[in-house]
Amino acid sequence: MQITVYGDTLCAQVTATAMAQTGHQVNWCVVEPASRERLAQGRPLFREQGLDRLCADQLESGRLTTGFWDDAPSGIPDAVFLALLPGQEAVAEQLVKTLAGSTGCGVIVNQTVGPVGTAEQLRTILKSVDPRAVLVALPDLIQEGNAFQTFTRPDSILLGCEDGEGEGMVRELLRPFNRRKDVIQVMSLREAEFSKLAISGILATRISYMNDMASLSESLGVDIDVVRVAMGADPRIGESYLYPGCGFGGPGLSRNVLALVDALNERAAEPGLLEQVLQTNERQKEVLFRKFWQFHQGNVAGKKVALWGVAFKPGTHRVDNAPALKVIEALWAQGVEVSVHDPKALADLEHWAQGRGALTLCNDPYEAAEGADALMLITEWKPYWSPDWQRLKRVMREPLILDGRNIYEPAFVREQGLVYRGIGR
Amino acid sequence: MVPEQDVLTISTIWSQLVQRAEQEKSLHLAEFFASDKDRFGRFSLEDVGLLADFSKQRLTDESRDLLVKLADERQLRHWMDALFGGAEVNCTEGRAAKHWCLREPADKAPGVHEQLDAMEGMADRILKGHWRGVLGDAITDVVNVGVGGSDLGPLMAAFALQSCLPPEGLCRPRIHFASSMDGSQVSQILQELNPRTTLFLVSSKSFTTVDTLHNARTARQWLARGLGLDYDDGALLRCHFIGISANAERMAEWGITPDNQLLFWDWVGGRYSLWSAIGLPIALTVGMAGFREMLAGAHEMDEHCRTRPWETNIPVMLALVDVWNINFLDIRARAVLPYDGRLKHLPAYLEQLEMESNGKSVSRSGEPVEYDTCPVIWGEVGPNAQHAFFQLLHQGTQAIACEFLMTARRYTEAVHSEALGELESQHALSNANCLAQSRLLALGEKALDPALALPSYKRYHGNQPSTTLVLDELSPRVLGALLSMYEHKVFVQAVIWGINPFDQWGVEMGKVIATDMLEVLADPDSAADLDASSLALARHISSKQK
Repeated sequence: MQITVYGDTLCAQVTATAMAQTGHQVNWCVVEPASRERLAQGRPLFREQGLDRLCADQLESGRLTTGFWDDAPSGIPDAVFLALLPGQEAVAEQLVKTLAGSTGCGVIVNQTVGPVGTAEQLRTILKSVDPRAVLVALPDLIQEGNAFQTFTRPDSILLGCEDGEGEGMVRELLRPFNRRKDVIQVMSLREAEFSKLAISGILATRISYMNDMASLSESLGVDIDVVRVAMGADPRIGESYLYPGCGFGGPGLSRNVLALVDALNERAAEPGLLEQVLQTNERQKEVLFRKFWQFHQGNVAGKKVALWGVAFKPGTHRVDNAPALKVIEALWAQGVEVSVHDPKALADLEHWAQGRGALTLCNDPYEAAEGADALMLITEWKPYWSPDWQRLKRVMREPLILDGRNIYEPAFVREQGLVYRGIGR
Repeated sequence: MVPEQDVLTISTIWSQLVQRAEQEKSLHLAEFFASDKDRFGRFSLEDVGLLADFSKQRLTDESRDLLVKLADERQLRHWMDALFGGAEVNCTEGRAAKHWCLREPADKAPGVHEQLDAMEGMADRILKGHWRGVLGDAITDVVNVGVGGSDLGPLMAAFALQSCLPPEGLCRPRIHFASSMDGSQVSQILQELNPRTTLFLVSSKSFTTVDTLHNARTARQWLARGLGLDYDDGALLRCHFIGISANAERMAEWGITPDNQLLFWDWVGGRYSLWSAIGLPIALTVGMAGFREMLAGAHEMDEHCRTRPWETNIPVMLALVDVWNINFLDIRARAVLPYDGRLKHLPAYLEQLEMESNGKSVSRSGEPVEYDTCPVIWGEVGPNAQHAFFQLLHQGTQAIACEFLMTARRYTEAVHSEALGELESQHALSNANCLAQSRLLALGEKALDPALALPSYKRYHGNQPSTTLVLDELSPRVLGALLSMYEHKVFVQAVIWGINPFDQWGVEMGKVIATDMLEVLADPDSAADLDASSLALARHISSKQK
């Protein structure tokens, strides 16, 4: 089939790649000029493990072509995916109007995450031009860092589609990814959008809850990691999203929770719990800073801190809302020198830091730790899991290890002659 | 140079004023207005965002001219030169009174600006969330611990300016005030706050004020307990206490780290100190830029006061009108009535500024004065006072002067846009009430329909004089001008009366006796030479505590 995918998002890249890989002819159209430039050079927008390779393969094979969103369409696609960035509502509306005018487009699949009711609104615009046109909602459930896998081997697919309009077409498109068992759940447009936000809300709540438990563990003298395993063994709870740490970030999770808080506020319902969840998370982002501050009794001016990992999670180069940013700002404000290592995110970090403050960016993790008064592990990239402790001890001025993801064994680190502080242990 | 000491004697001008008052006594304010349509033009002044209307005062051109002559006779020009020249105008304490200097531009007062810059550094750190508690948390609550001038001024101004938005990107902390020595405020505040995120400002000119030091000690113990630290922990002091004082040594002795000390000077009286670092709570409300605007507004009023001829000089004319009311019309009380809830704490502030300054009965040369000085001053937010003591103003037996304050523009901030219509109509209603009350107080039932036949208990005598002050808006600049105006008014009155407005010996002795009374309360039987009443009270309390 002929498919057009619109958007500059990870979701757009994954959808376009997956569709092309399964034999469709896909045209991927971006909105931002910067994205167009990148794609024109044959470079995918997102560089996730495996994904950039697959994407490049599809571009090479010719099954995946790229363009700009307001280019004149070369033909009438059988299906259109909208996976736009937040704030591009006007683009979405204009696209829907144009598509409605060109008769014959089979189905428009809206993957863009916006306030509940966005898809309905787009459908109204669409139907006002062409009453027979079809729009469905397929909220983006992709997990960053593992994006291609979660799209092509999903545990569940939420499909908002009403009166059966377009269901057959979407099922056909998703058939290669829905083989083991049927994981498509059909519901109304609003229900699909709201389910997506509600999922984000509960994941965020679990994390903040665990962070609260971690603070308590510290004052009770117990190890939160033992407690976490015990909790996860209970089938009513399960193991995922129980890791305490130095806060969650990223463009998706926090934005979705914020959207939910907004929705609650607008309807005058009490957002008490979710607001608290976000507040706890913002506070948690500074937890390593506080540990560093306490260790030095507030005398931190002129000291140096090394950060390992600044991406908002392993596997991505993005730093949007990342806990590391808050830590860096807090350190700058106290006159602390900051040096950073990250396998992928240094370029994004450098861009963010422009005009804000000075950073030393290092290509080697031990170079970053050179002369540091503390090492903060913020993003648990695999290469950080088993460092050369003796080397760290040698190069650091003060061998203080602040483990923001509880990936080290406290007793072992201490045996090596370093000072260890984790989250809740 | 301070002018040669002089006692206010019954001069020709004074006698002429007495005669004038005698002649005009029978005139009703309604007649003033009936016979003089242009009163407002001649009896109102406007400058620095302030309009002062004293046309509802029982004043004629003749009495006004005589009052101006009295000011000259009392050498007001010399005294003003002495004040602004930094001469020793506070004779009993042997020092100058240079609060005006706190508002001067940087080139004229480099020392002042050095402290303002230090204050700005602290204010910015707090407002940006960079000031951290001992456990590394950003500060969310600031408690001002101080009393008298270290409380009333900052409290009044910070409250008044709360509706001004804090500067972009800054996060205003919640600000609390603890002053009373019995600990009622501090105990309440501490119950609600988190020690990890609370910063204390300990403000005391001498840093010996018992009330303040006891409250500060309670706060420090609360922090130490809550954070699991020693009372003397250095990090606790460094992260949770700022000291503001004229006495660096005492601050250091108490435990304030040198980096956390803000200084002001001996030549700033406590009740004139909100312009110094004592004003930190104000800066935390409107940002340091807003605080500097307030200083600029006050400086404009200083210049106005220093350079304008008496007839067009707002503080001088207000002072002379007060003198006229007190000394010649025998009006011994003044009500301060702001028709804007944001000025709720202004009456208490003025009670201190005026009554502590001019509540004196000994002249500069040490002679007892033979005339009235400061009247009793009290007040309340106008519309609320209407439901409280306005009955006495309208139908009581006391002659009372009133001071109405209102704001022309309000609710211009973007935050109000949603409820703007409703709030604007509330503002209009309040202003309408203000105008109605001053009119009724002045004219009495002549303001009403003459056809009304009223029984005696429903009648309004009127003839109660008032001044109305209209602020263009309640901005830092206009508030600064207003407060500077009051300070200078108080000084001008003191010059007319020949008293020193800058000391407060009347509040010293009580502190000394209180120390003795502590012992009496601990053991009433140990007391010797105590009056029967005090002794019996001490015994009664002690018996109830057993």
